[in-house]
Amino acid sequence: MIRLTNVGLKYDRGPEILSEVNFHLRPGSFHFLTGPSGAGKTSLLRLLFMSLHPTHGQIQLFGQDVSRITTSKRAPLRRRIGIVFQDFRLLEHLTTWENVALPLRVVGKRLDDYKEDVTDLLQWVGLGDRMHGYPSVLSGGEKQRAAIARAVIGKPELLLADEPTGNVDPQMARRLLRLFIELNRLGTSVLIATHDHQLMRQFKAPRLELHDGHVRIV
Amino acid sequence: MSGSYDRPPDRPGMRGLGSSPRTPEYDAYDDGAVVTQQGGRTSTQSRDPAYGTYEPEPISPDSLRTDYERVSRPDIYVPTREARKVQSLTAPIVPAGSVTGRSLTLVITIMCFLACLTVGAVYMIRQSANAWLRDIASEVTVQVQAKDGTDAEKLTQQVATYLGQQAGISKVTVMSAAESAALLEPWLGPIDDLNALPLPRLIAIELDRAGTPNVDAVREGVEKQFQGVTLDDHRRWQRQITTITHSFSLGGLAILALVAMATTAIIVSATKSSMASNREIVEVLHFVGATDRFIAREFEKHFLRLGVRAGLVGAILALAVFTLMPTIVQILGGGSLTLSELHRLVGSGSLDMAGYVLMGIVVVVIAALCMLTSRFGVFRILNSKH
Repeated sequence: MIRLTNVGLKYDRGPEILSEVNFHLRPGSFHFLTGPSGAGKTSLLRLLFMSLHPTHGQIQLFGQDVSRITTSKRAPLRRRIGIVFQDFRLLEHLTTWENVALPLRVVGKRLDDYKEDVTDLLQWVGLGDRMHGYPSVLSGGEKQRAAIARAVIGKPELLLADEPTGNVDPQMARRLLRLFIELNRLGTSVLIATHDHQLMRQFKAPRLELHDGHVRIV
Repeated sequence: MSGSYDRPPDRPGMRGLGSSPRTPEYDAYDDGAVVTQQGGRTSTQSRDPAYGTYEPEPISPDSLRTDYERVSRPDIYVPTREARKVQSLTAPIVPAGSVTGRSLTLVITIMCFLACLTVGAVYMIRQSANAWLRDIASEVTVQVQAKDGTDAEKLTQQVATYLGQQAGISKVTVMSAAESAALLEPWLGPIDDLNALPLPRLIAIELDRAGTPNVDAVREGVEKQFQGVTLDDHRRWQRQITTITHSFSLGGLAILALVAMATTAIIVSATKSSMASNREIVEVLHFVGATDRFIAREFEKHFLRLGVRAGLVGAILALAVFTLMPTIVQILGGGSLTLSELHRLVGSGSLDMAGYVLMGIVVVVIAALCMLTSRFGVFRILNSKH
């Protein structure tokens, strides 16, 4: 599913953020990505999401080398990945419902084919009564849930989540973890970058620990 | 809930995630209690003796709101646009207002108006010129200038008789002195005594369109037969009209090319600024797997709509100008220029079906230009970023 070989990353002439990173995540796996602030968790997720190119090394995703992937080949791969951003990245002029349905619109699905799925998912994440509201009237936690719903609505083969429980209460965090576990059971590989030790204690999964630019699997 | 889609009871939840946690698995409000009313108040006596009698507080008007009312009029602030959006689940991904503003619409409308005006004017001039050429191509004028005291009337009749005998001439009309004077009146004013001027007498010949004669042979014959007789087949005039018409057409094409270039430049600039103002949307679209083609389509939809809307308005305005032009010219001319004189100069002054079709083509071309320019603009910007 994901294979990194000797991957290094630095921004312009700055210090190396990631150095000689090597790991392999099998299809259907569940991993937490952890490490101190500024360790490069978000950068690593961005590399896996192909919004950054590694300075050196090779990244293989779904069996393809994506280290220097062209834009035309990037879009079909991104459709197989769901991503949850730390800053949510919801479009303010679209309703929560429309934001969540966006990945399905982009792949050209018909409204009738997905509208019930979107509604069901929004109700499941507790946004049933907010689905026609705009992101500007949602709280941080609600935005986070909407962003998660958008990431999983397309039934991705790989889910990358950057601090997905950072803005929700422990009860909702457990609920979202349940969603990720459920998705993983259905075949989605999951990689969650988090600081939340309580969350990691609730589900036994291997951890990728980032320290000084190196990754260690615990 | 307003705008929600109630799932049928037999339909499983999304991806088997189970039913909504808000749905209770039992009816929490039914323990078989007996509800009685007395003196306007409601009492509830549970069948379970542990619960005793429930005596509620007087009901406030707010608590009488049903669940439906609470959802349809939520307690929190909800923007007024929400109610409108509930009807549509596919709002434009790129908001129209961020792409095509009023100023842009106005500029494109003006461009289309100018293009339609140019196309219409060139078309009318060509139509008038063609009508003139058709008329004069089948007509030849013979001038009879009597010399050395020859009787002009007699000579004219002899020439007319000679011409009438030639093959390929369908009609010979001898114009009287009064008719000749009438032709000169617009330029010389009323002429009291035509004989005071050495004016030639005119004979109009209509050529048989089916079997046009050799005009040069006829000219040679008539000039050899009669002294002071010349034949004019209007070739020079035809050449001049053709040259002028071609000049107008080229001028029109140049104006159209300038309008097209200006429109392209405006759309390129508008595409750049709309891409810049919607940068975040473009980023999110890329993140959810949108191709450049999809993104370009989201932008070009707005530009196509702009082109069609502005194009139609511009064309309608140009049509209005063509319709009102004769009246305006008459008013500006203070009555000195009559409608018939204007028609003589520029034809009927109105467009026929082919003219309307040309206007339609201008609208289509402007709309297509807007759409294609924005498409290539978006592609170019996206490629330069990658």
